[in-house]
Amino acid sequence: MAEIIDDEFLVEQFSRGDETAFERIVERYSAEVAALANRLLGWPGEVEDVTQDIFLAAFLGLKKFRCDCSLRTWLFTITINKCRTNRYKRWLRLRRFSQEIDKVSFSSACEEKYVDADEFKHVRRAVAALPAKYREPVVLRYLQELGTDETSRILGISKNTLNVRLSRARKRLREDLAELIES
Amino acid sequence: MTEDEIKILLQQADKTAAGAAPVRVNLSAIRRRAGRKNMITLVAPLAAAAVLMVALSISALMFRTTEPTQEQEKIALLETRIKQLQARTDAALGLIQEVLDEERRRSRLDELQAQLASIPDPLEEIREQVDKTAFILVYQADRLYNELNQTDSAVENYNRVIKLFPENRWAKVARQRLSEIENRKI
Repeated sequence: MAEIIDDEFLVEQFSRGDETAFERIVERYSAEVAALANRLLGWPGEVEDVTQDIFLAAFLGLKKFRCDCSLRTWLFTITINKCRTNRYKRWLRLRRFSQEIDKVSFSSACEEKYVDADEFKHVRRAVAALPAKYREPVVLRYLQELGTDETSRILGISKNTLNVRLSRARKRLREDLAELIES
Repeated sequence: MTEDEIKILLQQADKTAAGAAPVRVNLSAIRRRAGRKNMITLVAPLAAAAVLMVALSISALMFRTTEPTQEQEKIALLETRIKQLQARTDAALGLIQEVLDEERRRSRLDELQAQLASIPDPLEEIREQVDKTAFILVYQADRLYNELNQTDSAVENYNRVIKLFPENRWAKVARQRLSEIENRKI
């Protein structure tokens, strides 16, 4: 609660033109935002550019923030949108060179299937391969451990839709990780 | 595999993954980019408007420089056509006016002729009147002589008829009556 009040105070200070308030917001949430971005983008490890973009968007939009939700929820919403954009741009880049990429990815995937012994890597790959509408709820609920309310709010969907998507995501993961589960 | 088991598996996989590298959010870069974005949001509409204005003015100039000769030719051609049409229309209207005048004159002439035809011949009228007067005088003279025995007055009337209308048939009758009176006297 104190954190929320403090957030509101920081937002108000920023609205009045005090940019040091934004520095404190960055200090407070950059790690969490980076972790979420890392998970949403499939654990690339390097998420500095995306995080920079997220906080740039926050800097530009913070004056319009009306404290309808917590600052963390708002930042996570921006993170979700930025990660979607990032993935879409990456997909466009890949599609441009689709033939070569397909060959490369196919060969590497085959190779990795036998060479990669790391089971968790397999799990992460399964999560990363999920469509965005299933991957995002999984990351927010199971990895960020957000509540149903906050998750549905961040994704802009109803709780029922969230539960349905989670259920379908689990089903897919079970299918994808069947070998792993059996062994 | 239950939901919790999946959750645990995912969390373990997440923990073993390379975490996000320590993020250093460059605030000065953010400020710079924000300033640039703000500038773009301010300048972009103005620039777009300026480009639009330039494009419009260029297109207007192009239309002015390339089309005037064609346009003028077209206008001149249209003007001559309009003049020709006007002349033809005027001629047609004049012709129509003439025909109408002619018809009006003819109808007036017909009316006058009809009126003229309806007027009786005055000479005939006078002749009729003369005949009538002569008859009345003879008739009166006859009455004076036959009914009133005024022979002098009757003779006077007969003589008047002969004098006034010598060529009339009743003058002939009057002469007969006078000779009859003369014969009776004898």
